[in-house]
Amino acid sequence: MSIELKLDRPAENTVTISVIGDIDMSSSTKVRDILAPLFQENNKAIIVDLSGVSYIDSSGIATLVEGLQWSHSSQSKFRLVSLTPGVKDVFEIARLLTVFEVFDTKEQALAH
Amino acid sequence: MSQPIKLSIPSHPKYLGLIRKVLQELLDYHEVPDETARRLILCVDEACSNVIKHGYGGPCEEPIEATFHIDGDDFKVQIRDYGKQCDSSQIKPRCLDQIKPGGLGTHFINEIMDDVSYCTERAKGTLLTMVKKLKRELTSAQEKNKE
Repeated sequence: MSIELKLDRPAENTVTISVIGDIDMSSSTKVRDILAPLFQENNKAIIVDLSGVSYIDSSGIATLVEGLQWSHSSQSKFRLVSLTPGVKDVFEIARLLTVFEVFDTKEQALAH
Repeated sequence: MSQPIKLSIPSHPKYLGLIRKVLQELLDYHEVPDETARRLILCVDEACSNVIKHGYGGPCEEPIEATFHIDGDDFKVQIRDYGKQCDSSQIKPRCLDQIKPGGLGTHFINEIMDDVSYCTERAKGTLLTMVKKLKRELTSAQEKNKE
């Protein structure tokens, strides 16, 4: 199953990544590969749009937790937007929903 | 369902989507509510990922055999591999207070399933059996449909 990742720079030092497809053991490394360098670029905010993701497993969650850790060391904001019910449920079971900054829309995440 | 559904996939992550799709179809056919179906699929996916990672030591072409059986109110799934046998006493979910990547798969399985057992009494590999009692989920879905 393929995954599509779209990078956009809506403002200076702000990056959004739109993920389309399932994030599982076969695709989470692709998400990690695109995410990791962004924390080396002095970005102030990195926003991950998950509206196109209906399934995420523990490897996908682990990748996003890594992103959160990188954001702490690089002092960038790391935000997740538009969690689908399936993805939100997995975050809830992992008790991680309150650990991340989560927004309903990309616009809200950009405005904060 | 009298006959179990059996599926064998090679132990490579690219086939995980296939096993999820087959299980989704099966659970749809039995009108298992969406949220429950998603959670059962997550458990099966995590179990197969663990076999690839730990049983076979990485992606390869060894068999992972999944058997799904809905019998009355019980959903039973068995995952059989022929790799390195696991030590079930070492399979424990980690403390969730620590925010760190990894180690959540076992937590998902234990949190969602009603019964989980690992059997290594065989020449090679492990047989994982997971059971979920569907009665509550099916009843609540039927009540919703009546409304």
